[in-house]
Amino acid sequence: MEKIILQQPQNETPEAGVPQIFSEAVTQSAFKKFFLEVYSITIFTLRFFKEAFKPPFEINELARQSFLIGYRSLPLIGITGFIIGLVLTIQSRPTLAKFGAESWLPAMVAVSIIREIGPVITALIFAGKVGSGIGAELASMNVTEQIDAMQVSNSNPFKYLVVTRVLSATMMLPILVVFADAIALTGSYAGVNLKGNVSAYLFFSQIFQSLEFKDLFPAFIKTFLFGFAIGLIGSYKGYNSYKGTEGVGKAANSAVVFASLMVFIIDMIAVQITSLFQN
Amino acid sequence: MTSNLSSIKTKPEDAQNGHIILMMEHINKSFGNNTVLRDINLVINKGENIVILGKSGTGKSVLIKCIVGLIEPDDGKMIIFGRNIFELKEKDLIEVRRKIGFLFQSSALYDSMTVSENLQFPLKRQFHSMSKENMNMLVKEALQNVGLAEAIDIMPSELSGGMRKRVGLARTLILKPEIMLYDEPTTGLDPITSKEISKLIQEVQKKYNTSSIIITHDIECARLTANRIIVMKDGVCAAEGTYTDLEKSSDEWIRAFFE
Repeated sequence: MEKIILQQPQNETPEAGVPQIFSEAVTQSAFKKFFLEVYSITIFTLRFFKEAFKPPFEINELARQSFLIGYRSLPLIGITGFIIGLVLTIQSRPTLAKFGAESWLPAMVAVSIIREIGPVITALIFAGKVGSGIGAELASMNVTEQIDAMQVSNSNPFKYLVVTRVLSATMMLPILVVFADAIALTGSYAGVNLKGNVSAYLFFSQIFQSLEFKDLFPAFIKTFLFGFAIGLIGSYKGYNSYKGTEGVGKAANSAVVFASLMVFIIDMIAVQITSLFQN
Repeated sequence: MTSNLSSIKTKPEDAQNGHIILMMEHINKSFGNNTVLRDINLVINKGENIVILGKSGTGKSVLIKCIVGLIEPDDGKMIIFGRNIFELKEKDLIEVRRKIGFLFQSSALYDSMTVSENLQFPLKRQFHSMSKENMNMLVKEALQNVGLAEAIDIMPSELSGGMRKRVGLARTLILKPEIMLYDEPTTGLDPITSKEISKLIQEVQKKYNTSSIIITHDIECARLTANRIIVMKDGVCAAEGTYTDLEKSSDEWIRAFFE
């Protein structure tokens, strides 16, 4: 026999709680929201370190992500690097010429590119391409319940999706920066030869004479931090996105904005630390 | 009568003996100020197909997500195979989840993998030492069971809605679950494909001897698959019975659902 339950619902609103949660979030003070976000990212970061060193390791996915993140970014990074080297050389030449220091052009451009412009510009492009890509991909996986599906099939979605992407970004960005620096110096050589005739040997030997270990090492180290921050922020924004197509756009957008900001913050701290040691 | 109808008949020893494989006791869940589930009590016996009917937003999907621990209720017990899953450690929860299959509303196929890789994904992570030949054999068998053997190397984006549901079902069945959870399995499908999926659910129950919870608002799917139907209204179990019982209900709201 059919059984009818006489208990009447107390709440007549049939919709699930998301709009209420959202409206609550909107009314929260910006201050509280900021600290909640910091807390949430800290927990996410700690979880990354916990999962990253715990077997089993997703080696195949790590290799696949490294290919997608690293190899697929080469053309964009290469073109940008060449243009930066070329433009920087063309723009700097008149100023140096005024002081009769035109011969310092290769050294000045090399130090600028290797110490600062190469890592920062490459990281910003990387944040735009890879950070937004990770954010959008994970957010759309969230929307289409793919992350839930991994969880109920006893896979560890955090390990498979987040750890692999963050590690790939951390490993690939330094390689891309070295590549971008090399291409930018080639661009600079092209720029020098637009109004002159300098041999490649002379140009590059001037560069290598001007560069020291203290120029290369800190610049190289900070690229790992840039890569880690970009991968982590992209993953965090995507993995914790609100469900719905709007959430995908927001995750991609905020991943780029936040990751770019973090690049500058890390750069500022890295420069301060480097100058402390140099002094 | 109250919503405790199902649990009235329940004895704890039944769960121990394995007749009852799933038992919900006083499950409540709120999101902010909005209460989605109110004092839900439900018992599922071995080999039984239960359909949960209800309008959108009545908490049906939240309820089955509570079963696999994707959403944790505010209070209540979820006893599966005699163990309250909310008290289990992660390792034990994995053991319980191993026996539960979940077909998502959107099928939730992994976009970046082929159909074959989608099916291998849970296998690789549950049986680390399984040989590649064995894995391929299981994948082929699972796809044959849902009538999609030819789709093995296709990407999910190339599949139709009905095919996606079948592949999603094959990915779930490959782990030989004892409980199947279907979240709106016929939503977005044409009537013919819906009927095929409903029949497939029946076949799965017979072939694998699974117990199932089917969330739907497709009355034809409910008619074809249900041993017992529970109608949910605003987070409570409003009625319970067989299809025939509920079709002739004295309650106009419930009867309207079956018209």
